[in-house]
Amino acid sequence: MTCAQGVFLAGLALILLAVGAFGAVMLRAAARSDGGAYPTRSLFWRLVRSPAERTEYHRWAFYLHRLTGVLVFGFLALHLSDVALYSFGPSAYANVHRLYGTAVLRVFECGLLFAILFHTLNGLRLILVDLADLGVLGARRLLEAVALLTAVLGIAGSTIILGPVIS
Amino acid sequence: MNVLSRSGRGPDTAHRAVSGRLVAYLLIRVTGVLLAVLVLGHFTVTHITTDVARTGPAFVGRRWHSALWVTWDWLMLAAVLAHAGCGLWVVVEDYVTGPIARRRAHALLVTVTCVLMIVGSVVVADVVLG
Repeated sequence: MTCAQGVFLAGLALILLAVGAFGAVMLRAAARSDGGAYPTRSLFWRLVRSPAERTEYHRWAFYLHRLTGVLVFGFLALHLSDVALYSFGPSAYANVHRLYGTAVLRVFECGLLFAILFHTLNGLRLILVDLADLGVLGARRLLEAVALLTAVLGIAGSTIILGPVIS
Repeated sequence: MNVLSRSGRGPDTAHRAVSGRLVAYLLIRVTGVLLAVLVLGHFTVTHITTDVARTGPAFVGRRWHSALWVTWDWLMLAAVLAHAGCGLWVVVEDYVTGPIARRRAHALLVTVTCVLMIVGSVVVADVVLG
């Protein structure tokens, strides 16, 4: 492994750590001001309510939206630095870029795809909720569509990305 | 979110915080729609239609010969930084409570965003000017 590749991988590890730390801060703030931390034992009883009453799904979508946003921004900063290596010559760029084809990075790219898909689709949902004034039930149905689309497109994309590793 | 109670005492500060949130709200959504196309398009080209192992310097060189992709990449960078900058600005307001710490966090955010924009623009300018 070259020095530049080591710096890149250290940067990636740092980003994942920062995302984890941000998640912890977010959940602690949530437990303090947004109605308690889940999952607890009472969650079990909450699940028997009618779907219309399960409004915490929107809150979970909100947390996931922030978390995926921080992850994508962190990766953007890293990605910008490895693309900037192109200005120092093709070989400097190729040296670090080779990492993207490794199995570990491909798994990360699948996670990134899921994060981007959820963040994009949920973001479009939020715009629609405001513009079309959808209400709680409509917003929840859209959230289900977002979850489904994220899963389907994410799995389809992941099989393509992981193709060279699997075969 | 209760904007008024979180953002200072005088009506002026409160008003500025509300209009700041409005700017962030609009900018996040306008750039968000743009990014839905630009980022998913970028990811599709670099991971789905082309395997990522084949997106080396030759691929980048070929792609950046086209004005479309140079424009695409720079527009994506500008939109992403506006989007993330506004989003993280609100995130800082939610989680960093002390006024001094908040001002420092906001200053750090603006600095990082500006540095990324400058670095990215220099790379793009380097490509365009050859």
